[in-house]
Amino acid sequence: MTALWNEIPRHGKWLTALLLLVFIAAPLVVDRYLLSVLVLVLYFAYLGQAWNLLMGFAGQLSLGHALYLGLGAYTATTLWLLFGIGPWIGVFVAIAVAAAAGLIVGWLGWRFGVEGVYFALLTIAFAEFTRIGFDHLGLTGASGGLFLPVSPTAHDWWNLNGGVHLFYYVALILAIAATLLAAWLRQSPLGYRWLAVREDPEAAQAVGINVFRVRMIAMLISAGMTAVGGVFYGFYYRNLFPSQIFDISRSIELILGPIIGGLGTIFGPIVGAIILTPVGESLTTFMQSSGLNVPGAKSIFYGIILMIIISLRPSGVWPWLAKHLRLDRPKS
Amino acid sequence: MLIDRSKFSRRTVLAGTAAGTAVLATPSILRAQAQTLKIAVLLPRSGYLAQAGQSCHRGALVSAPVLADLGYKVEMVHIDIESNPDVARTQAERAINEGAHCIVGAFDSAGTLAIAQVCEQRQVPLIVNIAAAPQLTEQGYKFLVRNFPTGQMLVSGGLQQLKTLISATKVEPKTAVFLHANDTFGMAQRQGMDKLFPAANMPFKLVESIAYDPKAQDLSVEVTKMRSLNPDVLLVVTRAADAIKLIRDVVRQKFQPMAILSPGSPGLYDEEFFKALGPLADFCAYALPWANPKSKSSQALEAAFKKMQPDFRFPIECFNVGFTFDALLTAADAFKRAGSTNGVELMKALKSTNLVDHAMIGPPITFDEKGQNNNIPAAVVQNRGRVPTVVLPADVATMTPVLPAPPWQGRT
Repeated sequence: MTALWNEIPRHGKWLTALLLLVFIAAPLVVDRYLLSVLVLVLYFAYLGQAWNLLMGFAGQLSLGHALYLGLGAYTATTLWLLFGIGPWIGVFVAIAVAAAAGLIVGWLGWRFGVEGVYFALLTIAFAEFTRIGFDHLGLTGASGGLFLPVSPTAHDWWNLNGGVHLFYYVALILAIAATLLAAWLRQSPLGYRWLAVREDPEAAQAVGINVFRVRMIAMLISAGMTAVGGVFYGFYYRNLFPSQIFDISRSIELILGPIIGGLGTIFGPIVGAIILTPVGESLTTFMQSSGLNVPGAKSIFYGIILMIIISLRPSGVWPWLAKHLRLDRPKS
Repeated sequence: MLIDRSKFSRRTVLAGTAAGTAVLATPSILRAQAQTLKIAVLLPRSGYLAQAGQSCHRGALVSAPVLADLGYKVEMVHIDIESNPDVARTQAERAINEGAHCIVGAFDSAGTLAIAQVCEQRQVPLIVNIAAAPQLTEQGYKFLVRNFPTGQMLVSGGLQQLKTLISATKVEPKTAVFLHANDTFGMAQRQGMDKLFPAANMPFKLVESIAYDPKAQDLSVEVTKMRSLNPDVLLVVTRAADAIKLIRDVVRQKFQPMAILSPGSPGLYDEEFFKALGPLADFCAYALPWANPKSKSSQALEAAFKKMQPDFRFPIECFNVGFTFDALLTAADAFKRAGSTNGVELMKALKSTNLVDHAMIGPPITFDEKGQNNNIPAAVVQNRGRVPTVVLPADVATMTPVLPAPPWQGRT
């Protein structure tokens, strides 16, 4: 990790420190609305990092990451609700459950040569039938939803029960930790194996890399990380509905950040989240203040903006930004 | 720099502090003394709940002149929450930042719960127009009131009214089949039925419950299965598109139950249903809270609706429109009585609401200590001449119920 930090050019270090400082100090300056938007930015940055490990590094397209999000959310909240096990302990069970689900999906896919779009379909199928399963699972409230008690004045960090400031800092820690983990993994021997498998699985196999194994590790880590995001979601919103949490729109939502920011890059998911969430919020505000308050119009403008970004920066915004900020050249 | 001590006394400091405090506190004082109540109406006007959200939005738009005519001073800000709890939460924060004194919304339970947390932390009242999750009023929110029945209240009220319908029409059904969509709403209704039907003491036996996929191309398999069971009554929980498919397959297979009834679901009274089925849409009946055709508020609302929304029919939209109007009316009435826009004062006034004249059928709007209105009865509404028509309870009915339904053949 130290070696990685040393590779960053001096002005890059300053920029990183400045960004970090801005995020740490944000609650002191911004109002609650902006803070709640920043919570979403950090949350999507975190989830983007988790998905980017599998897709960006290991080259495996998952369109069903809502599965791990939902499993994480349901596991931790159910443990808390039924057995009083707090989220800081429940999160480990959530990681284990999601990782087990990831193992099944990965094993079924890669063991039987299901690749590419077919693997993506498999991930969607798993998320869908898990949603249907939870729709009928009485223990978690079935389709009627699962609800955590609310205490608006509580500041109970141990039970993740509190105001927006608490969740902001939790999201910030998660996003930083995920970025550090991604950076460390990217530079590790495992990271290089992922890149080799992503670029050419046959060639990687030929040089002795166990393709199945390294993909499974990517899936395990990605699913586990996503489950942590699910725990955050469950305790932040304090209610869960299978139709919301396992929905394919959730999966799409969490992959947009890394795609727009730059697949396979460390800062891509962060840049993507910083662009997308505020764009969405700004559009809502703009549509309302301009009188263009037509339902669905925001989605159209949002789609157009996404198309423009993708057509102008097909490799994502971060590689372009890094080039212009001269951050793409490691310190010699 | 030297300080002139004679001019910089303790008294000066105190006066300065008081003046500073007054300046800083001015916005909140102005907020509390505002002449008009600023209501943020948060609804899912796009996304998968758009159809209902837009219907509620039309209700909010139409409510403005009606409330003004009634002497209430309200200003509305309309916000789309895109059927997404994330958006609901951030938009609630924004609305409050921009000076909303209370929030009305938000049609679905997930979005409403996201808003409720913000309202609770900001001490801004939330008046729920439509959302059925019982937990909304069971989780200890102090800044929330709901003028809408919980899911269980909907089912039990619905069953009760269907029993009254059967007794009023003097038919004697022996068996029923319960057919429901296997989506979130349909499954929740199924759970409610499983729990409440045995205790409801209905005059018929439930022989089978059949779930179906609302996205299926047709419902011929389900209808064939029902036909083999040959029930007298078909109890259904549908959505718009699948209700059309259901009736088409029932007619196609020449299956003629005594009645097609819904214990509380959309589908049978949507505009698409009437357009697609014409006379075949008639005589289906459903038990739901409904706009009171005989209340002054409802009549004023209908007149305004006809004028402002000529492309839509009030009898079809009155469920969403009526509940949204009643939520806005409740907020406006509380403001009038509280004489303040302060959240705590408004909430106190909301809890002591006793609104006699409102749009929906039922006794005066009141809330229990948890903020729930427990007195929202269902009415029996039957499609007659392609218009949803209140047929029970008798005191608000505009027609008498007809059962058994006339044969499919020969309807015009």
